[in-house]
Amino acid sequence: MIGEKAIHNVGAGAVRVAQEVGGIVVLTWQVLRALVPPRIDRRELFKNLYKMGNKSVPIVVLTAFFAGGLMTLQAGPFVKKLGATSLAGWGAGYAVLREIGPILIGLMFSGRVGANNTAELATMTVTEQLDGLRALAIDPIKFLVVPRVIAMVVMLVVLTVLGDLVALLGSSVVAKVMLDIDWSTMYYSFVDNLKPADFLTGIYKSIAFGGSIAVSSCYFGVTVRGGAVGVGKAVNAAVVAAAVSIMLLDFFLTYLSSH
Amino acid sequence: MSDDRAFVEWREVTKSFGGKAVLKGMNLAVAKGEVMYIIGTSGVGKSVTIKLLLGLLRIDGGEILFDGQRVDTLPESKLAPLRKRIGMVFQSSTLFDSMTLAENVGLPLRKHGKLGHHASLVEAKKRLEQVYMGEYAERYPAELSDGMRKRAAIARTLALNPEVVLFDEPTTGLDPVSARRVDRLIRELAEKLGVTAIVVSHDPPSIFGVADRVAFLYKGLVHVVATPAELKASPDPIVQQFIGGKSTGPMETPGF
Repeated sequence: MIGEKAIHNVGAGAVRVAQEVGGIVVLTWQVLRALVPPRIDRRELFKNLYKMGNKSVPIVVLTAFFAGGLMTLQAGPFVKKLGATSLAGWGAGYAVLREIGPILIGLMFSGRVGANNTAELATMTVTEQLDGLRALAIDPIKFLVVPRVIAMVVMLVVLTVLGDLVALLGSSVVAKVMLDIDWSTMYYSFVDNLKPADFLTGIYKSIAFGGSIAVSSCYFGVTVRGGAVGVGKAVNAAVVAAAVSIMLLDFFLTYLSSH
Repeated sequence: MSDDRAFVEWREVTKSFGGKAVLKGMNLAVAKGEVMYIIGTSGVGKSVTIKLLLGLLRIDGGEILFDGQRVDTLPESKLAPLRKRIGMVFQSSTLFDSMTLAENVGLPLRKHGKLGHHASLVEAKKRLEQVYMGEYAERYPAELSDGMRKRAAIARTLALNPEVVLFDEPTTGLDPVSARRVDRLIRELAEKLGVTAIVVSHDPPSIFGVADRVAFLYKGLVHVVATPAELKASPDPIVQQFIGGKSTGPMETPGF
């Protein structure tokens, strides 16, 4: 009996995951279709760009600065021991641009902007504001979801570029203050060793992460059921889905970029 | 009841939720310019009935016609023209939290009326003045009372000049004075603008003061359609129990 129940639960879980993945794929398709021709509500777009982008700057700067510093701090003792200070910037920069930057900023963005977006859309859904839009002959996908998806993708890329710069600054400050490595050593270490491909790989990743955070946060927002409890569950599901998809996408994109 | 004059018509409509049949083949025809009230106990499917007309919910069986055309078969992407002609005022107002009242009322004008943002706000303010909410145009819905939100929601619904307006319990939760003002507004819409109003209500003063005809929904069917006077005089014990608000009688009310 217990075995049967376990099998039933596994099956039900698999069906639910399949339904949600399917739902997210359908929503992605609807968003892409709504972009041709691109008739985006500009007021909603700008409102979301501001809300999602500008207001995320402090937390991104803070995280990126210390993440960059941390890279140098971890590598520092080995670099010093081997006398390879000219490689300190390369190590930190490579890790920041390709991995730490997009992943960390993506996760912060998901926690701050994605969760907020799910909660807002979910509350609108349970209070019938989405039906209110439909009753006014306004398509909630075009009016609410599309501007949010565009704003999230654009802003995550912008914040990743900003975060990359701040992280490199952070790693230079830590190198100078804690490891006594010159500014110029770090600067030339970045310039000589980092390639455009390192930067671009991070940007491709941030586009992919932004898209997956945006679509999953909107999906769980508009499909919520069951009042306040439902809103809580939706936010939870959106953050988990975004984190899992960031890790999976990162793995595949890293694999593709190294082949 | 099939009717040649019917502007809006539900034919043998069925609808279930989670295996529980709510509508079991209901029929109702509403004439153009008529004020039709749909009454019945909670959970009998009154709100469902009007949401089915707009395609916010989908029927399981039967047909729904508007202006001689079947509308229940239209996909979501083809429903916009219908929804411009039929407006709905929700029970919970459904104003958008993140927008001021003027932006709320201006939104349909901006999206469908070819007005720019600024022009839509100017027009929205005029519309809000018509429901005595002009001075609150810059306020957000959360700052206002239920009655004020309801009036703003009515202004938003009327922004597109719909031919039919669906009201879902428009006077529920309002004080008696605000409730009678909403009643008067519904009557004026019908008399001055020829708007067809379909109103879901529990509120006896509203029902007997405003309705041209009343459809009494019972056990998933339209039990009776009658004028308010006919309803009052009806010998049917079920009708008498409902309109008299008696706790005992022949009515079967699930859950109680």
